[in-house]
Amino acid sequence: MNMQKISTRKRWVWKSVGAFTVFTLSFILMSSSHREAPLISNDPLSDNTDLYVFRSPDQQNRINIIANFIPFELPQGGPNYYNFGTNIRYEVHIDNNIATAGDDIIYRFTFQNVNQDPTTFFNIRLGQQNLKTTYTLQRSMNGGASFTTVITNGVVPPNNIGARSIESPVGLGSNYNTLMTNAITTASTGETVFCGPVDDPFFVDLGGAFDLGDLPKQNGISRDGLAKYNVHTIALQIDISTLQKNGKPVSAAANILDADYVIGVWASASRQATKTLRGANGGSPFDPTGGGQFTEEGAWVQVSRLAMPLTNEVINPIGSKDKWNFLTPYQDLANIGTYGDYFYNPELALYMDESKFAAAVPAFKALRVQSNSLRMFDFRNGRNGLFALKGTAAVAGTALDDAIAGTLLLPGPGKPRSVDIWPIFHTGVPNLRPYQLATGKGGNPLAAGKPFINNFLPNGGDMIRLNMAVPVTPRNDPKFSSLGLVQAAVLGLTDPMYNTTTTLQFIPNMDGFPNGRRLEDDVTRIELQAVGGVVLAAIGLFYDDYNPSAMPAQSPVTNQLVNTLQYSTGVETNDTTFKTSFPYVQTPWRGTLIQNQ
Amino acid sequence: MKRKIYASILMAVMLLNTVPLTVFGSSHREAPLILGDPLADNTDLYAFRNPDNPDKITLIANYIPFQLPQGGPNYYSFGENVRYEIHIDNNVANNGYTTGDDIVYRFSFSKTNQDPTTFFNIRLGQQNLKTTYTLERSMDGGVSFSTIVMNGIVPPPNIGPRSISSPVGLNAPDYNSLITAAIATASTGEKVFCGTADDAFFVDLGGVFDLGDAPRTTPGTTPVDGLKCKNVSTIAIQVDISTLQKDKKPVSQATSILDPNYVIGVWASASRRKIRTLSTNGTESYTGAWVQVSRLGMPLTNEVVNPIGEKDLWNSLTPYEEATIGDGVFSNDERFNDNLYNPELALYMDDSQFGGAVPAFAPLRIQTNSLGQFDFRNGKNGLFALKGSPAVAGTALDDAIAGKILLPGPNRPRSVDLFPIFRTGVPNLRPYQLATGKGGNPLAAGKPFVNNFLPNGGDMLRLNMAVPPTQRTDPKFSSLGLVQAAVLGLTDPAYNTTTTLQNIPNMDGFPNGRRLEDDVTRIELQAVSGVVLAAIGLSYENPARLGLVLGYTTGVEKNDTTLKTTFPYLQTPWPGTCNCAGKPTGYVQPAVLPPSVARMGLATPDVFMQSAPNPFRSVTTIRYRVETAGMVSLQLYDAQGTLLRTIVNQRQEPGNYSAIVNATDLPAGTYLVKAVSNGQLKQSIRIIKN
Repeated sequence: MNMQKISTRKRWVWKSVGAFTVFTLSFILMSSSHREAPLISNDPLSDNTDLYVFRSPDQQNRINIIANFIPFELPQGGPNYYNFGTNIRYEVHIDNNIATAGDDIIYRFTFQNVNQDPTTFFNIRLGQQNLKTTYTLQRSMNGGASFTTVITNGVVPPNNIGARSIESPVGLGSNYNTLMTNAITTASTGETVFCGPVDDPFFVDLGGAFDLGDLPKQNGISRDGLAKYNVHTIALQIDISTLQKNGKPVSAAANILDADYVIGVWASASRQATKTLRGANGGSPFDPTGGGQFTEEGAWVQVSRLAMPLTNEVINPIGSKDKWNFLTPYQDLANIGTYGDYFYNPELALYMDESKFAAAVPAFKALRVQSNSLRMFDFRNGRNGLFALKGTAAVAGTALDDAIAGTLLLPGPGKPRSVDIWPIFHTGVPNLRPYQLATGKGGNPLAAGKPFINNFLPNGGDMIRLNMAVPVTPRNDPKFSSLGLVQAAVLGLTDPMYNTTTTLQFIPNMDGFPNGRRLEDDVTRIELQAVGGVVLAAIGLFYDDYNPSAMPAQSPVTNQLVNTLQYSTGVETNDTTFKTSFPYVQTPWRGTLIQNQ
Repeated sequence: MKRKIYASILMAVMLLNTVPLTVFGSSHREAPLILGDPLADNTDLYAFRNPDNPDKITLIANYIPFQLPQGGPNYYSFGENVRYEIHIDNNVANNGYTTGDDIVYRFSFSKTNQDPTTFFNIRLGQQNLKTTYTLERSMDGGVSFSTIVMNGIVPPPNIGPRSISSPVGLNAPDYNSLITAAIATASTGEKVFCGTADDAFFVDLGGVFDLGDAPRTTPGTTPVDGLKCKNVSTIAIQVDISTLQKDKKPVSQATSILDPNYVIGVWASASRRKIRTLSTNGTESYTGAWVQVSRLGMPLTNEVVNPIGEKDLWNSLTPYEEATIGDGVFSNDERFNDNLYNPELALYMDDSQFGGAVPAFAPLRIQTNSLGQFDFRNGKNGLFALKGSPAVAGTALDDAIAGKILLPGPNRPRSVDLFPIFRTGVPNLRPYQLATGKGGNPLAAGKPFVNNFLPNGGDMLRLNMAVPPTQRTDPKFSSLGLVQAAVLGLTDPAYNTTTTLQNIPNMDGFPNGRRLEDDVTRIELQAVSGVVLAAIGLSYENPARLGLVLGYTTGVEKNDTTLKTTFPYLQTPWPGTCNCAGKPTGYVQPAVLPPSVARMGLATPDVFMQSAPNPFRSVTTIRYRVETAGMVSLQLYDAQGTLLRTIVNQRQEPGNYSAIVNATDLPAGTYLVKAVSNGQLKQSIRIIKN
């Protein structure tokens, strides 16, 4: 994909929006992408499965970006196991400045492999390794106009085949964690980098989810369908001052809402346009040396992309998945005519709406989208949501004001989720009314409330957005939660430490999804809760069973909100632990120790 | 160019009789390039005479390895833009300079989305990526094709009961009904099935590729079928023997189980067009000539016989092209031949090489001094010293017969066993008869065994279709195939007292064809260790060795599930919701609370309750909300107002609670539950027991 071409695109719509920078509550949503679109499911080496962006608990001035590729790797998948493709550009893209078009920073990884002993069918034998892979890392700090090589001959550890291949003297005579540690490289520009096989940190009941939404399983046991599979990871640890648009350290942030510390991150894989198999020439004339040879040439074409988890898995329908993989986020706005409605009226919401197909998906019975919030607003698919407020005095000065972001947040009738699901994926949310916590709003969702998060980077594209100024929640904090911002909002609304004041406070898990994405975050659950309307509830658009005229006032923590918050997919954590330091993802499963699959 | 050498062998052998034996098998992600193209990756090929239908042969070619049953949202299916083919050579005299095939079955698939607006694969009776196929057949070696199945149905993936058998899914009676409905009969009589199935292959993948640790010797590890609970996409055809036989004769006309006119060679392939072009609008296009990207004949050839540097090339060659590599006429490049003459695996069964490095193979040792003369270790001469001598006159090793390929030169010890098993099959000629009756001379005439000799020189599964099927319920049925048939022929009094030709159980097993049950990994490792040589009288130096070799096992001897007793024989695919589709979490879903009811003034109850189910059979749950802390009691009354029991009686803080009413002991009828808080009746609800 030609970045320069894209970067010349104007996103004028957002110029005016970006100029305002107030405060906010962003929220929530969806995730992960294993073999999610028809074409990419046939090209596993290019298949981007997950992207994580989080501030390091042990290195608080640094951000980790982890992009995973090659889904469903069987640890025992010999003789060749799995490796990065050699004709693929794997890229991590960062937008840190809405005033500059397109990407600001690009990390580009390319891989090479060599057979140290082509005479054996074993992958590792007598100290020699076949398909031994190394990489080159290039970095662009000008949106792709020019690249500098920052790592050459980076080492990718071998697959974790077994004790004979890794530890024994007839193998490599090493041990696996040593191989991993030795492969961690420091780039000439200071980034810490690791590329190699690891445990897939994602977790979901895959079998249940795609059996028509049977999450949690209604008749049977919930299972982590990714348990004991590996992926190939590209992990980067980068100083905040490298990512911040003016090169400032995090210590210079004005507060946790500082708009200058917001980054948007996405990842991609690209191949060259033309692949030609040489073949044995069909025997006429027979050309044995051509067998198994091929060439790839031509322009680079993006074949996989990933930012917000599950966008292309459960938001885009099958007819639109392939095209989405070929677009950059900067093209999303131009394609809003096709893709916008998947967010304005998400398919998943049909299964949380008793006037639609809720009866067909009993597993979602705890999730019901607001149909009569505050006795006024209907957020079910095809309804108007907050559209009746458009242009009224009530929204003047809020994000919904056409003079601010109302043209995108209230684009028309019949697009109820333009105010929550769409911006969470495409802009982040500013610290502006109504995107503040309901705490202190006195029942009026449009009133000023407790400031929450500002990860507003209104480029209109699907990205993981992180405000790097938000401190890290220690993983051993009793308030640490895999519910990310949902839990931060719950604490802000219900915990006496936070719900008695509208003062800006750091609330635990404000550094969680969808303000970035931590390895622990239960994104499937969070996203289903979000489609179920939990973000709307957090900003004061409570569930139908809240009666605004109750005397005395009713607690907004109604049974329907409780149901939504209690909702779980049945798989809430990864099947193993994480490392406490870079690269955080766990040692890959060993081929000889797999029993249960 | 080629073929001359093989044609002359055929002529020579047509006059005579034989024993082939044994060897290798399977190919999942086996070569570097094909592992990036799973849709075209041919994993296994089977060819066997049907126990329930002995006039028919079933050919099964599997593709797309390691399919997770839970691999949604798109699951797995055959690729468009791929030619999947099964090739049959039934007449070595027809091998010209073209393909060499006599019959080709070519499958092409297409997909449609019935409902492109959903991310689910199946919803409300509609199916996405719904796959159909066209089957074409050529009876003239690929010159012309006729379409014999149009719009053949590929069943959907076995996603789970909601997608397959519920009214919001396809509302099918069950998954097997979809399989049955998808079995097609071609216009030319073949039965055909294309769809997902349990992967019938079994191997301790993790152990084998950890430097040959099968059976496991690494402490703390145990063997496991690495393909357990995985599916593949299968192409299965059941064909009349008279369709496959070169002169269209039925099996009843075979002269004996050795009839050379009933030998077929089978191989499978996948091809793509030469040029793939990606477009930035999210589509790809394919143009140009078709190029073979995957092939399979004998199991495991490209997995553990060919080294990594040669695998990609091997996949691109037809068996007929392979035969010319190193044939001494077209080319002197012996690399593929040498992988059989001096197989890598043999290094690990040889104490003068790397035998010490692979302790799992300790029972497997190659003859170093068989009959005090013959050394079959890599680099040694095997039987080469006999070349041209009177001792081999009239045997297959005679240059006038097949000696040119079986004894091509010194230092190619396995040219007499492994090479012919993979490339020619073995005739019923001396020395390829059982040792029984040979009186200690391996070159003497022995008990006739199997003739699956089809000397086209390419890697194929060779099957003599005249050999009757062994019933799977026969107590002598064995997954060791021909190895077991040879053991019976040498040791079972029913067979070892005569040199008369007899049908010995498992003569229809690998490598005379390949049955789904055959333990090809074990058989092939035993063959590399010299068991075929031993069977024809080239015994081990140590008499105990044969027992050790025969007792050798990889630790995984059979598939992880059963097989069907009728076509397509492969078992129903694992559903995405099966017990092995992930690690269980033990999660229990909490009760869903009823919507809150706001207080609309001071009269709003301090306790609010509902029951569900209501009416109920024996047990119902009361869910209630306490607004004000206090002593809360729930009491059960009958319709006459008699207090039957107290369900709850305790101090409760504001919040949501539930209580269970077990009315198993009560007659059907109407009952009342009264909620009392701080001594005041707050609510009374009626519950009905049916």
